[in-house]
Amino acid sequence: MSKRAVDMTFQAIYTLTDLRALLRETAPTHEFDATQKAQAERLLENLDRQVGSLKQEILK
Amino acid sequence: MKCGSGIEARQVDELFINIDPIQAGGRLTADAMKAVVAYGDGYSVCDNCRKPNRLDYISKPPIAEFHKDVAKWLNMDAVRTVPGARRGFQAVAHTYVKKGDPVLLTSLSHYTEFLAVEEAGGVAREIPVGDDKLVTSDAAAEKIEAVKKEFGRAPVLAFIDHVDYQYGNMHDVAGIAKVAHQYDIPVAYNGAYTVGILPVDGKAMGVDFVVGSGHKSMAAPAPSGILAATAEREKEVFRTTAIVGDVTNRTFGIKEPEMMGCTLMGVTLVGMMASFPHVKERTKHFDRELANHTIVMDALLSIEGTKCLSEYPRKHTMTRINTIESFDKVAETHKKRGYYLSSALEEHGITGVIPGATKVWKFNTYGMTTKQAEHLAGAFVAIAKENGLSVKG
Repeated sequence: MSKRAVDMTFQAIYTLTDLRALLRETAPTHEFDATQKAQAERLLENLDRQVGSLKQEILK
Repeated sequence: MKCGSGIEARQVDELFINIDPIQAGGRLTADAMKAVVAYGDGYSVCDNCRKPNRLDYISKPPIAEFHKDVAKWLNMDAVRTVPGARRGFQAVAHTYVKKGDPVLLTSLSHYTEFLAVEEAGGVAREIPVGDDKLVTSDAAAEKIEAVKKEFGRAPVLAFIDHVDYQYGNMHDVAGIAKVAHQYDIPVAYNGAYTVGILPVDGKAMGVDFVVGSGHKSMAAPAPSGILAATAEREKEVFRTTAIVGDVTNRTFGIKEPEMMGCTLMGVTLVGMMASFPHVKERTKHFDRELANHTIVMDALLSIEGTKCLSEYPRKHTMTRINTIESFDKVAETHKKRGYYLSSALEEHGITGVIPGATKVWKFNTYGMTTKQAEHLAGAFVAIAKENGLSVKG
């Protein structure tokens, strides 16, 4: 296991934390405006990348 | 969903608008949540603790810098972190109050101030409030004179809440501090509902101590808080240990007895530190919070029979409301009795009102977006209309 795997684990948790904050900000309907939607898309793309890196590191 | 054996994952603030009066200002920022993940282990902030081995000297993470920044932000000279505002009251009371000493509080003081006085052996004397539920400097002067007559001396300490927990009213701390100082009474400012919520300037108010609550108003995990002091008082409340063991001859460096050595370790402190830049910024925009609160107040007061028991117009986002002539009338005949209101609010995605409360209750809108404030306002009006109450406008 590598430092990179540890970093990616934290990064993914932090990305999910930012998504959690977005859910709080939009409770209870969770209807996102255009800015929030763009932010969510960016976060989910980051998460995909982070999980992808994790798979490479852990499953290699 | 469970986060441990038998422990349900708490998702209150993700699923609802939470108007619990004491929870609003303590909700974590995203950065604090991240800090919680990284620093959850018990002694996590102690990895780089070096001589003189005291929490507020640690530079990695930047705890020493945080202490200086908080002192500057509050315009005070020294700060320590404490496990909740109550531990700040306790440290101050224990420093100044001896058995039988009179201590000045107010009729709206928080119970933990009373307990701090009691533990130190002091005697509580309250400044009464008027019909407007405000503590004034004139009332403080009268009470000090009354205490002098009763005890033959002035109170040894005063605890004054800037915004009280019962009404969320804002009291004239500067005026009261000025009066207290004429009698050489040190003043401890209770900022549990202000520090981290709105701008606080300790020196401008002329107080000796500022006490704040991390978990109530600084977006920090519980239990956390701060105790700030002026340079004059710092030497007294933050005095260092002098004790020596008679067998081992041990001494304990620069540990501070009132702090019981180090105070906040790990997640509470780092959570408070991570939120601090956001907290500093948000206090500059308290006007936005009041604007959101007004949206909700206007809606509530449009419901016939509803009264605001707090000072009005509001100066704070926590408010005590009387709905005896509105929502409580419905409870008399509703099949769910008083529980219908919290139940109906929940259906609208709102939580935080005590289940069963329909007479007198408190709520807090701090930290809401305008959209959420509008949603909350709309929900109150909709519930009123659904239950046959008259709504103005």
